[in-house]
Amino acid sequence: MAYIRALRLVNFRNYADATVVLAPGLNIVVGDNAQGKTNLLEGISFAVTGSTPRTPNDSETVRWGQDFTRAEMRVALQDAGDERRVAIGYAPGQKKRLTVDGAPVRSLADYAAGGAGVRTVTFFPDDIRIVKGAPSERREFIDVLLSSLRPSYARTVAEYAKVVQQRNQLLRRIRDGLSSPKTLSTWDRKVIELGKTVLAGRAAAIEPLGAFLESSVRALYGPEKAALRYSYSAPLENYAEALREAHSADIERGTTSVGPHRDDFEVLLGGVNLTTYGSQGQQRLATLALKFAAREYIRQQTGEDPILLFDDVMSELDEHRRGYLAGYFLESTQSVISTTNLEYFEDEVRRQARIIRIASGSVFEEANSNASQ
Amino acid sequence: MATYARPVERLISELSKLPSIGPRSAQRIAFHIVRGRKEDALGLAEALREVKERIKPCRRCFNLTEQEECDICRDPRRDASVICAVEDPYDIGPIERTGEYRGLYHVLGGALSPLDGIEPEDLHIAELIERVKREGTKEIVIATNPNTTGEATALYIAQEVEGLPVRVTALASGLPVGGDLEYADEVTLGRAFAGRREI
Ligand SMILES: Nc1ncnc2c1ncn2[C@@H]1O[C@H](COP(=O)(O)OP(=O)(O)OP(=O)(O)O)[C@@H](O)[C@H]1O
Ligand SMILES: [Mg+2]
Ligand SMILES: [Zn+2]
Repeated sequence: MAYIRALRLVNFRNYADATVVLAPGLNIVVGDNAQGKTNLLEGISFAVTGSTPRTPNDSETVRWGQDFTRAEMRVALQDAGDERRVAIGYAPGQKKRLTVDGAPVRSLADYAAGGAGVRTVTFFPDDIRIVKGAPSERREFIDVLLSSLRPSYARTVAEYAKVVQQRNQLLRRIRDGLSSPKTLSTWDRKVIELGKTVLAGRAAAIEPLGAFLESSVRALYGPEKAALRYSYSAPLENYAEALREAHSADIERGTTSVGPHRDDFEVLLGGVNLTTYGSQGQQRLATLALKFAAREYIRQQTGEDPILLFDDVMSELDEHRRGYLAGYFLESTQSVISTTNLEYFEDEVRRQARIIRIASGSVFEEANSNASQ
Repeated sequence: MATYARPVERLISELSKLPSIGPRSAQRIAFHIVRGRKEDALGLAEALREVKERIKPCRRCFNLTEQEECDICRDPRRDASVICAVEDPYDIGPIERTGEYRGLYHVLGGALSPLDGIEPEDLHIAELIERVKREGTKEIVIATNPNTTGEATALYIAQEVEGLPVRVTALASGLPVGGDLEYADEVTLGRAFAGRREI
């Protein structure tokens, strides 16, 4: 199984120039508050996917006072001995420069879908918004997951968004008397063609994801049955009809009211919708379980175990669940877990892990820590 | 706030109006011209003037020409029963180089885009339909760019000629989605032509 051997971050967040060597299995990133633990996990994700999962605004990752950021990574591939070197350079306002083994990569979508030789599943504390927040958060979760598996899905989602934008502008122009409605059916056809592909992708994923969620919740939380339920703004079989029926209302509002950009999925526990009724703790555990489900889904689809980047996940959990998670991470191909408190991991777990200490943007590896390969 | 002498500033400002030329490239090109030989610069000026004075759209297909009709329209060896609709005159070159196509062209002058306020009336779509009726065209090959606006334009044309005895085809996929025809390599474009499909 593929894993990351080493990562170098230059001008990334609070790292001026830092190299971290990673081991297969569990890597624990430990440090006080505001030293750079979250930034390190974000940096790994940036190198693997070509963009940051934390913000839509990549320029925030450039170290203050600098005009570019750069990440380099060595990945050990499945065939023992084989290695891939990737690099990504980014200056705000310019196209990202990606290379794999020195050769430039043209498409960010291709790169994000496993171009680095590994995939990641990330957990950041504010990911709770996936369960707690607006439908757009859940749509983004599933779209990012599917895009990491198939670049064609990523392109379809992007094209779909563009076509909806064009259609919305046309609706406003028709409303304001600037356009005739005669091209509306043309844009409808484009919207439907792309929208159906998005819907088909999501529909195929939601069932296996729900099943993986159910078993993750059982392990993490208890015997209550968890499930996912996709809610369509327009049922797939009469999508075209629904879009046509919405014409006059859409023209009045100047937006497209049906389609995958208006859909949602419910996260259910014991039949109860956690977005509406879940406690804070239930929402957090469901978020974690969704991430575990994403890992299983990637494994099922690719046969490869993604790298787990989980930020500050232990602090919110009781001892029993911390023990379960430690075991889960130890058995993974590779996981990088941050914490302020090493005590959250039992001695036995720590002995098997590689410990990486972080202090004000510098990396200190423990001498006695599990040697890397 | 002028950093350089006024004529230099003017040149930089004119150059930076050109597509894909930013302020820095404009400055570099301007100084290249300032430093270079006078004959070269005047040659460029003359070429610009000539192009604006002599070149006009072909009255039949809107390709660029010095005559009333372009070379392709006047070439008796071309198959006049097929029209390939492209967005811009510079899309014709790459298609010609594939060697796959022997028909005529029709330059639409862009693509439908509500966001840019481009309506069917802003394009040469009505002229295309007129031509199809007048010339008894058997096939329209739509070779708009493989992106949102290009594909919508293709669909719209197909809808508009419905009922006319003309076959409408589009280039086969294989072209990079979201891309520009202009940048497609010959092999890909040639294959796309060979495998064009009905829409
Ligand atoms: N673009 C940037 N340039 C420089 N420093 C930055 C940048 N972005 C964030 N920082 C700083 O990096 C520091 C470390 O942030 P990080 O979130 O990684 O800390 P942490 O170790 O995860 O802390 P905590 O335990 O509180 O979560 C913060 O103090 C933040 O101000
Ligand atoms: Mg943190
Ligand atoms: Zn002509």
